[in-house]
Amino acid sequence: MRFSQLDRITALELGKSISAVKCLSLSEEYLQDHFPRFPVMPGVLMLESMFQASMWLVRATGKFQKSTVVLREGKSLKFQGFVQPGDSLVVHCEIKSVEGSITNLKVSGEINGKSATGGRIIVDAFNLADRQGVDPAIDEYMKHKFRMTFKRLCNQLDTQDLAALAINPLLAVAH
Amino acid sequence: MRWFWIDRFTEFVSGKSAAAIKCVSQSEEVVDEYAPGRTYLPASVIIEGMAQTGGLLVGQMSDFKARIVLAKITSSKFYCEAYPGDILNYRVEIQSQDGIGTMVNGTSQLNGKPHGEINLMFAALDDERFTKVELFEPSQFCRMLRLLRLFEVGVNQDGSPIAVPRHMVEAEKAYLSIG
Amino acid sequence: MPINEEVFDKVKEALVDALGVDDDEVTEEATMVGDLGAESIDFLDIVFKLEQSFGISIPREDLFPDDILTNAQYISDGKVTAVGLEKLKARMPFADLSRFERNPLVQDFGNILTVKDLCNYVITKTS
Repeated sequence: MRFSQLDRITALELGKSISAVKCLSLSEEYLQDHFPRFPVMPGVLMLESMFQASMWLVRATGKFQKSTVVLREGKSLKFQGFVQPGDSLVVHCEIKSVEGSITNLKVSGEINGKSATGGRIIVDAFNLADRQGVDPAIDEYMKHKFRMTFKRLCNQLDTQDLAALAINPLLAVAH
Repeated sequence: MRWFWIDRFTEFVSGKSAAAIKCVSQSEEVVDEYAPGRTYLPASVIIEGMAQTGGLLVGQMSDFKARIVLAKITSSKFYCEAYPGDILNYRVEIQSQDGIGTMVNGTSQLNGKPHGEINLMFAALDDERFTKVELFEPSQFCRMLRLLRLFEVGVNQDGSPIAVPRHMVEAEKAYLSIG
Repeated sequence: MPINEEVFDKVKEALVDALGVDDDEVTEEATMVGDLGAESIDFLDIVFKLEQSFGISIPREDLFPDDILTNAQYISDGKVTAVGLEKLKARMPFADLSRFERNPLVQDFGNILTVKDLCNYVITKTS
């Protein structure tokens, strides 16, 4: 995933919450446009980090049985702190409710312990074969790719954590 | 990855409303591999496209002198995904304003059908905390606005064309006179 | 005196929507800034939502008497003077300023408004 806005998953509790980190590097090409004289992570990328963490939480909670997890709604998302090169944005997402394919989450992000962003998002998890009638092989390929990316992001969680989280069986099939 | 999330303005009425288009392409870095197997344009950069449309609408009211940033996504909602080959049409309107922020609402249409709706809040960087901060170098900013064809479609509320602000014209001249 | 339930529910809806807080966090006593995390940027949003929801118009200075709080005539040593306090009370009869009066630091004024104050304000505007 080239548009990854997360570097590491640092904590995960299936069905409940996830924490992850995004470090901002001056070498991010888009910083030359945002802004030429004041390089900061765009607010929507802070949202993207929080969405991606939420996405992994929802995927892992659903045992990677859904190929697609999309952002349906973002509400009362404030950007009160700038992420500058060298800063780490630590995001935390918490499931508030689940209704069918829809998960409602409370999300937040901080820099050095100081609140930088936060709000509510709603994500939708589904298989394309069910919604769009495409060949289920497409869903299978996507699930496989996402499991592999997830495994990389979880590298920092130690083996005991992974076992305790019952994530290992999910990852075993990803090679 | 660059940070242009609209391809060009199609309408621009000073202090009132603006419209822009965004074509989704498979070769965009954010699209490629975002959802391998059935790639689509991430919602976050669709929000950014509408934020750029709205942010420049707000910025134009001060001749692009106020340092406008996105302060809040009050609400955003998407009905479906935008896949490569799709064309998005964004339309934003200024809704309300006080000394601190400007609220803008907008809609996104995908191939002519409703795709999303949004409500954003913009704020200008305050002078107390951001004394020396400049976002753009004026001639570079002007070039970007020209790239987006803002001055080609932009009109004031009386219908007269929006002129390139004087400070930008001067910055352009100064830039061209170097070397 | 219990506040009008219908008003409270509408105010609550606006606050939940604007601030991304949970329903149960919005109590009558909750302060807008300290308890609910409202920042200056949120007030435009809250005011807009209340105006829409109640069909009223809310002049900014009704809720944010910046003109009084930045007027040297009413401020001394970072505190609001007795005359200033009278001005504030006259401007904001809906708000309970008794706690603020004990130590009227200008910098603390931002955190005095409670959900109940906001409801009372809306009631004065709609009746």
